Amino acid sequence: MMTRLIAALGILALALGLAGTASAQSSSRIYDPSSKTWISFDPEKVERDATARGRVTPERFRRTLVPFRTSEPPGTIIIDTDRKYLFYVLPDFQAIRYGVGVGREGFGWSGEVEVGRKAEWPTWTPPAEMIERDPDSAKYAGGMPGGPDNPLGARALYLYKDGRDSLYRVHGTNEPWSIGHSVSSGCIRMNNEDVIDLYSRTEPGTKVIVLKQGAALYDPTS
Amino acid sequence: MRRTVRTALAVGILATSALPVRAADVVIGVGDWPSAQATAHLIKAIVETRLGGTAELRSGATGELWEAAGAGEIDILPEVWLPNDRTQVATHVDGSHAVTLLSRGVPARQGLCTTKQAAEAFDIRSVDDLRAKQTADLLDTDSDGTGEIWIGAEGWNSTRIEKIRAKSYGYDKTMTLIEADEPVAMAGIDVAASLGEPIVFYCYEPHHMFALHDLVMLEEPAHDPTTWTIRSPDEDPDWLEASTASTAWAISFIHMAHRTGLEKDAPKIAALLANMDLQPDAIEDMTYALIVERTPPEDFARAWISANADRVDGWIED
Repeated sequence: MMTRLIAALGILALALGLAGTASAQSSSRIYDPSSKTWISFDPEKVERDATARGRVTPERFRRTLVPFRTSEPPGTIIIDTDRKYLFYVLPDFQAIRYGVGVGREGFGWSGEVEVGRKAEWPTWTPPAEMIERDPDSAKYAGGMPGGPDNPLGARALYLYKDGRDSLYRVHGTNEPWSIGHSVSSGCIRMNNEDVIDLYSRTEPGTKVIVLKQGAALYDPTS
Repeated sequence: MRRTVRTALAVGILATSALPVRAADVVIGVGDWPSAQATAHLIKAIVETRLGGTAELRSGATGELWEAAGAGEIDILPEVWLPNDRTQVATHVDGSHAVTLLSRGVPARQGLCTTKQAAEAFDIRSVDDLRAKQTADLLDTDSDGTGEIWIGAEGWNSTRIEKIRAKSYGYDKTMTLIEADEPVAMAGIDVAASLGEPIVFYCYEPHHMFALHDLVMLEEPAHDPTTWTIRSPDEDPDWLEASTASTAWAISFIHMAHRTGLEKDAPKIAALLANMDLQPDAIEDMTYALIVERTPPEDFARAWISANADRVDGWIED
């Protein structure tokens, strides 16, 4: 998916005849948890492609107020991981619809969880598997401080199941172009301005329903 | 109260039996679907406000509730769906006679639904359409080449029968049959309706979803009992292969059931159950109030009793 996406963006960039303006960085590899392999990642090309699209989230994934008839109470969050939308239920059968990006390794299940805690400019700790394969990430083994380069972005909601951290998060991203796609890392990602908006509406204990139509009920032990 | 004294005496006499000592006069089993919760709360409120008794609610999956009723731990099953619970009725009603099934039945419908919008926009009209690749593609949300259909919660008898129906019609080859808790499935329908995306799912009526969304049942051949052979895992390990159901569900009925002997231990409560004649629209209104409007069930039950005092009076025998 990532390769196809980058390829598609590249074609678009060529078609529009736009040149990239990103800061030059050397090509590198990123860890793909789905295949558990390292894949080529050219940040310069990604920046160039995103620039071609105006570096914005595709229109249909932008924050929108929509009609939403549901029996879930206002305040509930419903995430459709297949269609890449997050709904925040409002009174009177309305919802705020946000676009999300979904990690390819994440959410192979559907079910109910809750917001266990939330954080501003959260610390990011790379998974042990990533540290093992990428010595460069070892410097963050104790946690990378929050900030513009932190992959969790501006805010994070930590999802808990039966009082325990499920290790899944809804978090921000500094790469708005990635919204609406399955990207190579990380849980549920939202634009920073969207996750800040959602964060301001959400308290610990908020019910979160995760939908993955092709998956059975959530079972953290499976 | 008298019932408590009698229970205490009975427990003393049957000291070696497994009869539990209860805090309430009756224990009501509450199934994990909305209308069962509505009727259970209504019975509890009538027992407590009109009959001067006490009632306790005990939640559980269908199989657990039937086992508990068969063991005498649950006195009332507010919603026994037929033909869904046929196997448990054979065991606990016709077999051991531990449970008495009341004859009055509320008519109900079951089948596969889609939204009216999806039926018109995507031309999904009948169960035959589910075998078509075009429909499978429309309902394929995870790009695995098959569509997805919610067939009910794990443990429901209807879920097992929906598997048999999928096999018999042949759409088990084109669709992934999803079992999930009802609230998760309902949220999926809410999302599909909001986005105008197609969705097909197991549905039953009375249910508040028919008031929440504009739903239509998929067309299928009328029920023909000669096409239905339903085996349960208890009867046959190869139940799926041994079963067939290639026409629509029969008109279903929701019955009340109670522990055999309740009519002697608590005759007024037993009479209440025998007399209650809830209609499908009343049950749908109840589930809408409880689930969609989120009225606390105790408040709802008391308000309903006040608003329908004459009907409730007719259910109570002096």
